Amino acid sequence: MTRQRLFNGVCIGALIAFALLWIMPFAWAIDTSLKPEAETTIVPVTWGIENLTFDAYTKVLGAGNILQWYFNSFVISTLIAVFSVVFCSMAGYALSRIRFRGSTFVFWFILAGIMIPGQALIVPLFREFAAVNLIDTYWAVILPQIAAPVAVFVFKQFFDGVPRELEEAARVDGASRLRIYARIFLPLSRPAISAVAIFTFVWSWNNFLWPLLVLTSTPLVTLPVGLATVSSAYGIQYAQIMASAVLGALPLLVVFLLFQRRIVEGIAGTGLKY
Amino acid sequence: MQTFPKHGVSRRDLLGSAGLLALSGALVGCGVARSGFTGQPPAANVLTYWNLLGGGDGVRMKEMEAVYQKANPDVDLEAVTLTWGNPYYTKLSLATLGAQPPDVAISHLTRVSTLATAGLLQPFPPEALARHGMTPDKFVERAIQGGTIDGQIYAIPLDTHPFVMFYNTDICEKAGLLDSDGNLKDVDDPEAFIDAMAAAKGITKAWGGAMSTIADPATDWRCFFTLYSQLGGTLLTGSAPEQIVETDKAVEVLKYMRRLTVEEKVMPTDIDYGGAVALFANGRAAFYFEGEWEVSTFLTAKMPFSMQRYPLLFGEEYAVQADSHTFVLPGQAEIPDDRLDRTLGFIRSMLDQGLTWGGGGHIPTWLPVQESAEYKAIKPQSNYADVAESAVYDPPAWYSGSGSNFENIAGAVIGEVLTGRSQPEAAVTRMQIGISKLARTPSPL
Amino acid sequence: MGTATTLPPRTAETPATQPHRRDRRTLSGLGFLAPFLVLYILFLFGPSLYGFVMSFFNASLVKGGLSSFAGFGNYAEAFSTPEFWSALWHTVWFTILTTPPLVVLALVFALLADRLVRGRWFFRLVFFAPYVLPSAVVALIWVWLYTPDLGLLNDWVAKLPGNLAAPTWLGDPSWAMISVALTTVWWTIGFNFVLYLAGLQDIPRDLYEASAIDGASPWKQITRITIPLLGRTTTLVAVLQVIASLKIFDQIYLMTGGGPDFATRPAIQYIYDVGFTDYRVGYASAVSMVLFALILVVSLVWFWLVRRQERVS
Repeated sequence: MTRQRLFNGVCIGALIAFALLWIMPFAWAIDTSLKPEAETTIVPVTWGIENLTFDAYTKVLGAGNILQWYFNSFVISTLIAVFSVVFCSMAGYALSRIRFRGSTFVFWFILAGIMIPGQALIVPLFREFAAVNLIDTYWAVILPQIAAPVAVFVFKQFFDGVPRELEEAARVDGASRLRIYARIFLPLSRPAISAVAIFTFVWSWNNFLWPLLVLTSTPLVTLPVGLATVSSAYGIQYAQIMASAVLGALPLLVVFLLFQRRIVEGIAGTGLKY
Repeated sequence: MQTFPKHGVSRRDLLGSAGLLALSGALVGCGVARSGFTGQPPAANVLTYWNLLGGGDGVRMKEMEAVYQKANPDVDLEAVTLTWGNPYYTKLSLATLGAQPPDVAISHLTRVSTLATAGLLQPFPPEALARHGMTPDKFVERAIQGGTIDGQIYAIPLDTHPFVMFYNTDICEKAGLLDSDGNLKDVDDPEAFIDAMAAAKGITKAWGGAMSTIADPATDWRCFFTLYSQLGGTLLTGSAPEQIVETDKAVEVLKYMRRLTVEEKVMPTDIDYGGAVALFANGRAAFYFEGEWEVSTFLTAKMPFSMQRYPLLFGEEYAVQADSHTFVLPGQAEIPDDRLDRTLGFIRSMLDQGLTWGGGGHIPTWLPVQESAEYKAIKPQSNYADVAESAVYDPPAWYSGSGSNFENIAGAVIGEVLTGRSQPEAAVTRMQIGISKLARTPSPL
Repeated sequence: MGTATTLPPRTAETPATQPHRRDRRTLSGLGFLAPFLVLYILFLFGPSLYGFVMSFFNASLVKGGLSSFAGFGNYAEAFSTPEFWSALWHTVWFTILTTPPLVVLALVFALLADRLVRGRWFFRLVFFAPYVLPSAVVALIWVWLYTPDLGLLNDWVAKLPGNLAAPTWLGDPSWAMISVALTTVWWTIGFNFVLYLAGLQDIPRDLYEASAIDGASPWKQITRITIPLLGRTTTLVAVLQVIASLKIFDQIYLMTGGGPDFATRPAIQYIYDVGFTDYRVGYASAVSMVLFALILVVSLVWFWLVRRQERVS
């Protein structure tokens, strides 16, 4: 028993050490962002802040477009999440419950899409959007990200587990497919909806390469693209850079804190990876 | 699938999201959102201007923008600074192809021909230029000619910016490197140059000089191309490897550059751009080599320094790598007259503020400013104004120009030599093979 | 509408006798699928085909249309270009550098955390939080940590015994990829950690109790019971990790720009560079197709592994 306890003690010690390591970059970013600019480049490095200041934050918030970028990211990610949930759950419902001619073909056709890496499509996709004049609009970011085959299969799997009796009873009453989908399946599939919604939201919020290519005017870019491409034009100012990093980290950290359990359960349940 | 939570989105979750939504909505006007959905420009009075000017340049450009904005309150100037180099030109190309280019953008002169040939630029109509008093004869000829393709003017040059040498006057004085007027003694000789840095190293106890060597192919290329041109070397005489750079001369230059860092150890081997600036700014290096634009940084730091042309180390005839910032009109469709006039008014305002810009180290190409007594009085910035005549520009090619693949490939191997990871001969071979491959690829333009 | 045949078992469906019902079903099936399928075809399947076609032409970004036919020229160029191979190798090298630590460390963290009775949420929070950060934020923070001279990591190395000189993390071609990999491990380990935690939940507790009665040490329990029973989770974690790593772009583009001396430029950045910076979209499409094929192979291996495991269990 003591051996067991000793072992547990060592484990917890190791875990705490790792946790400290993992917190360190965050802590250092916050520490730097609260220093006056001149104190950030002092060698040797010190953790203490002699003159605590929010200068860097006021400068970043005042000078840049960061609030605008929050807004863009929010609009884009929300719309992607909403559309994904609606379209993918409809498709998942059809694949799960409607046997029609060609349904097997459609099943495999969509399944094949899971293997298409979006990043390999940037060139043809860009030409497509340029041809229809949608470059530099939210749509150019939103539309390609809605069609996520993975989400379809998350819904399909979930619907597969819904007892047939529920549906049969409704059909006896003469309910249409749309009604059954909207009144029975959707309300039952809240866990799947929240998993897909949260994941799509987080994923599209963090997406970088595609928005970098198609959002070209600064007021329209998403937060990650803005942080990465628009330089402050004030040289290398570490406190300001870290302040913008902290501000950039905040929204999703809040989302994560709010939905922690659901995100974790979503991963465990679906293996969704973005 | 079995581990889904039992219940769905809770009230707390919803409240949280609603709060976020309300917050974002309240923070931002909806004008941008509308243009985000419709693709329409936000407002007719907006003048968008893209540049890639960071550091001290950025500060000065902001000042100049503020002056313009104050004089033109009816125009909403939207100036954007983007990441330097290929990312900037890629973004400019993509925006233009997506039919959403800025009204006016900065381009390096060495990039103009590629952009123009690709059909991404609109020429400046001569009569419109004349309307705003910007006739070609009022510019440094070399610069305005560089932006003229098939008789059409595609670029209005703002400056010439050569590679220069900064020196810390305090340290140099202690090291006995200054003459009685307080200017640096003659270092125009390979050995004298090294001796001077070694002497300075004795005072700083750290380094003699500093130049960024890692993650900065452009700077390494500037230094190399300066020395290579002093030797009379030629570039891109053909597409075969030995026609890319002349082997003997390139090896000679690289051997010398390697001596500075690896053998004589008067300059650090591993230092990035910011690190090199910091070394000079806090007195741990007495010399600093970069384009003249970093002068603003050192003026801000209120340190004792001066600057002059990069020394003539090889050959008899002075040569120095340089480029020019120019204004271009990105777009695939003709620009309406009223918009064009507003844009030209902006460009003219920038040219007229050449003193502010020249204070940042750049040599104005707008002759009314360059020839003025006020400019000549700005010291040390006007010390090297005459080198504009000896400026060498990167050779024209679709893969060439400031921050281009050409510079990236060449600069990367030069950096490897400076850090001691590569031998000069091997580096030249790699440079030749790498660029030769580009030279043989059919132009996509 | 007969109630008995509303939902017939699949095999009992006899299409010949009920053409009317079948048509309606096809209509409603396709109706439900239509919104998704339209977007899917327009933005995933269509571009794949378009990219495939484009890879056989000398298409240019700044010229309309496909330009002249190139046959297999673009592929031949890719396979004979050292830059292509080195970019592909960097992607693979990154995958090799990140996958083992991301699998093994995640397992270790999960095993450690699993022994906690209370406070597990805290560690879940700490290890998972970085995962929700945008790549741009991660890059900003880590580039600062790695800054030569001024960075925190250099300071730490200097404090280590043995008077070590810190590497120029992102500036040295032989260290840059390792530094990026280190950042990636910090950034993304939370995901695998959570998968493993869930896998551990599924192991029945009485197995441990029984073995404890038999006198098995905690270490023996881990190696004999826990790890073998986590087999399926490990496959999932490893394959998802490999596929994700093969798509590496963001953090490298942001932290090193593919440098120094192109030592970290991955396949996707090569596509980006030749396609958008050099305007050579035909060639870029050919490179995309090669990468596409590589990821496809990995995905198929995964399917095969999963099916085999299912058959075994």
